[in-house]
Amino acid sequence: MKQIHHILILPDRVVVDDQPVTITTQGADIVTELYRRYMNDYPKFFKMDLLSRLGLVAADILLQTEGAERGAERDDRAVVIVNRHASLNNDRAYEATIQPDNYFPSPSLFVYTLPNVVAGEIAIRNHYLGETACYIAAQEDVEPLIASTFNEHTTSVIGGWLDVTDEKEFIAKLSIWTH
Amino acid sequence: MDSLKQQLKLQIIAALNLEGMQPEDIQDDAPLFGEGLGLDSIDALELIVLLEREYGIRLKDAKEGKPVFQSVAVMADYITTHRTK
Repeated sequence: MKQIHHILILPDRVVVDDQPVTITTQGADIVTELYRRYMNDYPKFFKMDLLSRLGLVAADILLQTEGAERGAERDDRAVVIVNRHASLNNDRAYEATIQPDNYFPSPSLFVYTLPNVVAGEIAIRNHYLGETACYIAAQEDVEPLIASTFNEHTTSVIGGWLDVTDEKEFIAKLSIWTH
Repeated sequence: MDSLKQQLKLQIIAALNLEGMQPEDIQDDAPLFGEGLGLDSIDALELIVLLEREYGIRLKDAKEGKPVFQSVAVMADYITTHRTK
């Protein structure tokens, strides 16, 4: 198993295949800046929680770096996400809408109160019909989980460590993996 | 009524995270769903919450929202008739 491309997004730094990317913003604004620069064609992005935005934009930059033709359905590539804080950041936002004295539960926040949604968002955006998985783990130890995904049908994986503590503390450390 | 429509457009943009959209981009009589703003079923639920939170209008289920959410003009008419706050 090997990584063929990798990306790191932090609140103050972006690195793609060991090359730093110039950014002008910090914190969660970085994710929007990257969206506008690299995607800017997916309005649904703005309806997503930070975890899904981060994962989606990281995956898109990786796939642009890969340079392969995109758009056709494929089922040989899995999406595997591992993180520690699950969907806690969005869970807190949803919780704020269900206070006893201000009870207006937000449907659009509720739909992101599961961490595996980000894997689905990446699959939908890229027409992937193969495996998707999201593991909650205490430590950043993704390789055994990525390795366990490969089989005779799944020949590549996009994924890795994707964790959001809050708007100021998050990390996307994703790769495209092959046998 | 015009001020209500303007206020409603701002509330819709904020509630549905319609990034980059301004009130003038939403025509009073343009359909909100389908060919209009391209809203989805979650957006419809969010509009139901908006009606209750901002105007004290409680729709019993999502089906009731379908005729109400035809356009901003229809929504404004409905709010004017049914609002409790």
